[in-house]
Formats: sequence, C-alpha cells, structure tokens
Amino acid sequence: MTHTFGKFCGAALVAAVLTLSAGPYFDPAQAQSSHAMTAMATSSTKAAGLRSGLNMLFQEHIYLAAAATGAALGGREAEFKAAAGALDANSIAISKAIGSVYGQGAEDAFLPLWRKHIGMVVDYTVGVASNDKAKQDKSVADLIGYTQDFGAFLQSANPNLPKSVVADLVKHHVVTLKAVIDAQASKDQAKTFTTLRTAAGHMQMIADPLAEAIVKQFPDKFGG
Amino acid sequence: MGTRWRGTTLAAAVALALSPGSAAAQPRPGVTIQTFQFKPMPIEVPAGSKVTFTNQDDITHTVTSGTPESRDGRFSHQLPGKGATATVELTLPGVYPYFCERHRSMRGEIHVK
Repeated sequence: MTHTFGKFCGAALVAAVLTLSAGPYFDPAQAQSSHAMTAMATSSTKAAGLRSGLNMLFQEHIYLAAAATGAALGGREAEFKAAAGALDANSIAISKAIGSVYGQGAEDAFLPLWRKHIGMVVDYTVGVASNDKAKQDKSVADLIGYTQDFGAFLQSANPNLPKSVVADLVKHHVVTLKAVIDAQASKDQAKTFTTLRTAAGHMQMIADPLAEAIVKQFPDKFGG
Repeated sequence: MGTRWRGTTLAAAVALALSPGSAAAQPRPGVTIQTFQFKPMPIEVPAGSKVTFTNQDDITHTVTSGTPESRDGRFSHQLPGKGATATVELTLPGVYPYFCERHRSMRGEIHVK
C-alpha cells in the first residue's frame, strides 16, 4: 500500500460517505408489520424487534467497515468503493432507526455525527497504510474525544443512557475496530477474523442497552 | 368595602404588569440546544431583541455567527455543558445564520424583522 493510495482511499471514502444519499430504511414499526401478521404477536414482540434490528444494523456496521478498511489496505480500489458505499447505506439506515424513534430532527443530527467517526476511522486507516504514526495517534485521540459527543447525544435523546456509560461502550467499539485494522495491516488473517468477531460481538453491548433504554422511555410504543 | 377591594386589586395588577420580573413581562426569545439541534430553527425576533441560547446537551457547543464556510464575526460564544447560556442582541433586520464550531452540521438562523 503506497502513501498515495492510502491518501486516495481516505479521500475517496470521505467523498463516498458524504455524497451517498440513498440507503435501506429501518423502521421498528415497519419491522413489526411482519410480526403483527402472526397470531402470537404480542406487544413484547416490538421490543424484541427493536433490539434485534439495532443489533443487526450495528453488527453490519462492523463487517462493512472492516470490508472497506481491508480493501483499502489491500489496494483493491473497486472493492473499497463498493464497501464504502454499503457502509454509508448502513449509516443512513442507523440514522433512520434513530429518527423512527426520536423524529426527523434527531435523524438529521445523528447522521453527520455518526459519519464523523467513520471519517476518523478512515484517517486512522490512512495513517496505518502510510505508516504515519502521528496521523494514527491523532485519529485515535479524535475517536476517543468523539465518544464523549456520541454519549452526550444519546443521553440528551434518552436520559436512561448515561453519557459516561455510552462513551465507554463506544470507546470499546473504537478499540476493537482498531484491532481489526491493525490485524488487516499486518496481513495476519487468523487475527483479522478473530478480532472481527470480537468487534462485531461487542456491538451487542451498544445495541442492547440502547434498545432497552428506548423501551423504558416509550413503554406504550415498545413495552410488553 | 367592595370598592376599596377592587381598587387594591387593580393597583396590584398594574404593579405586577410593570414589574420586570413578572409573569406578565415579555419573555426573552430563546433557542434551546438539545440532541445536537438548535430549536426553534429558524427563530423570528423583532429588531433589537436579545436572543438567549441555552445548552441542554452535556457537551460543549458553540454559537458562532455565519456558516462554517463563511464566518461573519458578529458573535461567537462557547456553551460549555448543560445549563450554559449565552445571549446575543441583533439590532438590524435580516437573516443571521449561525452554527456550532465543534459540530459543524449544527446550523441555525435568526430572522430579525
């Protein structure tokens, strides 16, 4: 991976995440419609649907991010572009999930905040690809700082989600994803996939509390 | 007796209306910052109004005039955490955009009539 290609990948991913506007739509209410068709549907199904939907989206975020960083580090440009596009579609879907609970304004505020951390991950990947330790360190520092913003957003939306707890969970997300990128860069395939499973598995630690806090906040909508 | 009671009540009501801190006083227009959004957006105020910004997020935001692409230097205030406030006064009619320097997708407008 050359320095130039690393820079290109970074710029391309940033451009991709900033320009893509279409993506799948996750709506817990819509997700419920299929459940509602079953005779056994109960209100507790709504909470389960919300939790499983958020888990799916957050785990997808990890796998697509790793696909993009792996392609970038491996110099596979077309694959990288496609993965970056899919990753942004996932970002939009996560934002729509937030919007389906907290409204259009929250959705509009969440998307750029979420994309911001992807840009920082891109910067870290570029730093790894170009063997630029200063860039890597700055990206990690930015990501750690970002966890406070993300925690503040969710706490503001839902008082059942303390900022410090959310920030710690997101920090662990950063650390586990960084481990994947480092393993990809070192071309250690076994480690790449064990760290990838760890990173994906950790997202349940974010998705489950988020779903539970939403159910607690809106018992009439999601409660059992 | 009845006339005296009515007179006392009327005097009290007038005093209440003229008191700067009374409930009858005009409320100062305000913008709340919550969940990384400025609300209301836009806000409309008469010329000469003071607009107070109140941060309800547990993180630092700024209220900086202009746009990230084109700052106009009219005002820039940091609101370091929940409960922090800042006030700006705009005397001339016009549309005044503002944004948060830390989260540049956060944007608002003050419409001064």
